[in-house]
Amino acid sequence: MSYDLFLGCVIPARLPYLEVSSRKIFEKLGIQLHDVDGFSCCPDPTGIELIDHNTWLALGARNLSLSNNNGGIISFCSGCVETLKGVNYYINKDVTVKKEVNRYLQKVGKIYEGKTQVKHFAQVLYENLEKVKENVEKPLEGFKVAIHYGCHYLRPSEIIAWDDPFEPTTLDEIVQALGAESVEYDSKMECCGNPVEKSDKDLSMLMIESKFKDIYQAGANCVVLVCPACYQQYEFNQKDINKKNNTEFNLPIFYLSELVALAFGFKPAELGFNFHRAKPDALFEKVGFKI
Amino acid sequence: MSVINFGFRNEVIKHNASLSYCYQCSTCSGGCPVALLTNGVYNPRKIIEEAILGLQEKLIESQDPNPWLCSTCQKCVELCPQKVELTEIFTLIKNKCFEKGKFPEAFLAQGQAVLENGIAIPYSKAILTRREKLGLPEVKTAPVDEIQQILKVTNFEKNILKGDK
Amino acid sequence: MENSSKSALIIGGGIAGIQSALDLADMGIHVDMIEKKPCIGGRMAQLDKTFPTNDCSICILAPKLSECYRHPNITLYSHSEVQKVDGEMGNFSAQILKRARYIKEDACINCGLCAEKCPMRVEDEFDRQLRKRRAVYMYYLQGVPAIMTIDKEHCLWFTKNACRICEKACEREAIDFEQEDQTIKIDNIGSIIVATGYSLIEDIDNDILKNYGYKKYRNVVTALEYERLLSASGPQEGHVKRISDGKEPKRIAYLQCIGSRNDRAGKYCSAICCMYTTKEAMIAYEHNNTLESYVFYIDMRAGGKGFQSFLRRGETEYNIKYVKSKIAEIKVDNNENPIITYEDLDTAEVKQLQFDLVVLATCIIPPEGLENLAGILGIELDKNHFIKTPPFIPLETTRSGIFTCGCVHEPMDIPRSVAEASGAAARAAEIIKGG
Repeated sequence: MSYDLFLGCVIPARLPYLEVSSRKIFEKLGIQLHDVDGFSCCPDPTGIELIDHNTWLALGARNLSLSNNNGGIISFCSGCVETLKGVNYYINKDVTVKKEVNRYLQKVGKIYEGKTQVKHFAQVLYENLEKVKENVEKPLEGFKVAIHYGCHYLRPSEIIAWDDPFEPTTLDEIVQALGAESVEYDSKMECCGNPVEKSDKDLSMLMIESKFKDIYQAGANCVVLVCPACYQQYEFNQKDINKKNNTEFNLPIFYLSELVALAFGFKPAELGFNFHRAKPDALFEKVGFKI
Repeated sequence: MSVINFGFRNEVIKHNASLSYCYQCSTCSGGCPVALLTNGVYNPRKIIEEAILGLQEKLIESQDPNPWLCSTCQKCVELCPQKVELTEIFTLIKNKCFEKGKFPEAFLAQGQAVLENGIAIPYSKAILTRREKLGLPEVKTAPVDEIQQILKVTNFEKNILKGDK
Repeated sequence: MENSSKSALIIGGGIAGIQSALDLADMGIHVDMIEKKPCIGGRMAQLDKTFPTNDCSICILAPKLSECYRHPNITLYSHSEVQKVDGEMGNFSAQILKRARYIKEDACINCGLCAEKCPMRVEDEFDRQLRKRRAVYMYYLQGVPAIMTIDKEHCLWFTKNACRICEKACEREAIDFEQEDQTIKIDNIGSIIVATGYSLIEDIDNDILKNYGYKKYRNVVTALEYERLLSASGPQEGHVKRISDGKEPKRIAYLQCIGSRNDRAGKYCSAICCMYTTKEAMIAYEHNNTLESYVFYIDMRAGGKGFQSFLRRGETEYNIKYVKSKIAEIKVDNNENPIITYEDLDTAEVKQLQFDLVVLATCIIPPEGLENLAGILGIELDKNHFIKTPPFIPLETTRSGIFTCGCVHEPMDIPRSVAEASGAAARAAEIIKGG
């Protein structure tokens, strides 16, 4: 089993340590990730698309056209998945869109038929859940995980066509397969607020604040994410929220791949945890997780 | 006083026909997290209403409500009983805001980065060193001139330049 | 040619089927009525009151039920189903499965002693699973025929070869475990009327109810469940209490268009909900005049005679506030109180209100088993899976000699169902009596 790896912009150029765990877990599962030269920004569905929709279609289609792998593309980012799946959706839905997009691509000698499959890495993990379970060497006992699905992992369901748009279960099942407990909390399905940050930082903060509040109240001891935008929203704002509201939130913010990597037996030192702002060491000690 | 602009209204419908299905039930604003937090100052139903009525001035010039506050969570799209594709329609409205030069500055930075580098976040020296230390392979991104050629055809540059005040 | 020796076959014993049967029988035509449930009466028997007069539903229905049962020209086959139909207009023949009740019909006097002793508890379908009945049971209190029935899927004798306490309790020796299903052939049928009514969207597995917390939040009920709560013969005897803590609700929200007018569920209007919601709020107010009712709607549809003034009365005399804002989802607080987020369209503000109880006006859908029945009858269904009727002759099906009336072809209220029933009876009679 192999996929073409679409890295996007945020993870490789800003949060490379998240890339480490993501690559390692698929290696362990025996799933090959091919690096492809020449990808551009997906482009950002919360940025570039809002400037110009046609550019979004063109650059997205160009990226998709670079994949020759039968398995299609795998991505570590919900935003990239939404863009690539979205471009596929519009091209395959309306033949005039396909024609127009290929008119743009023709200028750079490329063509796109609309046939490249796209999968979120969590989807690949879920589809190989038995293999994931087999590879768990250190079950994450005592980890009380607050899962944040995020919005672009699920919706719009016509484009993403993966999990239930309002009552999803795939990430819960993966977390449970790792031996951890998934904690229910009030605002579990609410948006983290990251896309609003460019327009209104205060509003964006209000949204992430209420998530932290509910997660804390529910008794979770860590958060897990599958999108680098959400990751930034949680990781980079925790301290500011404390300053603003006099709280003492100090939850380790994990990327799903990091949790999987820990469960697979990889050492925290090789996974770049020193780059996290909220260090997980206290958590490991508290639950007796041997590192 | 708001004037109905039929041309604008028809343009939006041409881009996304689902706009005309809306029967203003306000399911979208009832489920919208930003509408609740801003007590209706941001209001997806109102944006769609103004688009249906062709109130271009209100939507694009005054940006009342401000479409840039949409968090793209897509709950409205998923809940809408008439399958109105709100986020798609908001995308068109935002594209038009860009044409008129009325948008939050932060978007400009990303647009320019893609225009100049083909990617939204250029690789700094520090990151390249860090990647090496973490044992990660070098990333070969798209040839910039190829991206710029596409951006010329789609008129992306014009949008950016127009908005570049 | 003795044309009047031809009979009519009516499938469905709700108010529409009953009205057709009575009309035809009064014309001197023999009618065989087939009803799937152990008793006739249909949905109307489940209602407390009917709009727009707020008359007691069963009070209007019961005399018709008795008449049906005693009419010399009507043969009632309850607990029965149509299995096969052959022939053509003017000359159909049908094969009926008469399910065994395991009760001797001429011996049972509906005293209820057997049910008192029966140890098995089964969710009561008539009361929308809000309370439990026994394995030997009366479908509903005022049901006709007034004969008990044994539910063989839950009876200990049939499932585990044990018990038979009912047999010992019955003082009329009416229990008969040896009874068997019968196959009855009816020939010489001139015309058929299909009037099998409707189901509701909560009866099938539909995602649309998930966001409203139906079955997850205890203080969210559907409209028909609420009717049963409001009924004097229902599980709460008409004094509505919250299911979570038994407290009397002080503020109730009624959510319209749940699963109807919705591209993802029923793409049509469910027709009766705007009116019945006002009716339900009025009845609830009569029990408790400190009650605040809120109706959240897209449009209030009140097209019949006296309907619009009915709504006005609701506003002015029964403390009902109508809010134009369809509700997207329901959340609850720590006391299981539903919280509703809505938009106040006057000010475009998005607000939240806490309620004690929420009633969902759920969409009417075609009745269970209609696909099967349509196949047996050789009639077509429309794109919403109701019976297909020509737009200007809505009583005809796609097969000559088979007519239809009531909700099985389109959602409609009781007055319209009754009018259509008489219409269908007239059309059916034309074939039987005509030359």
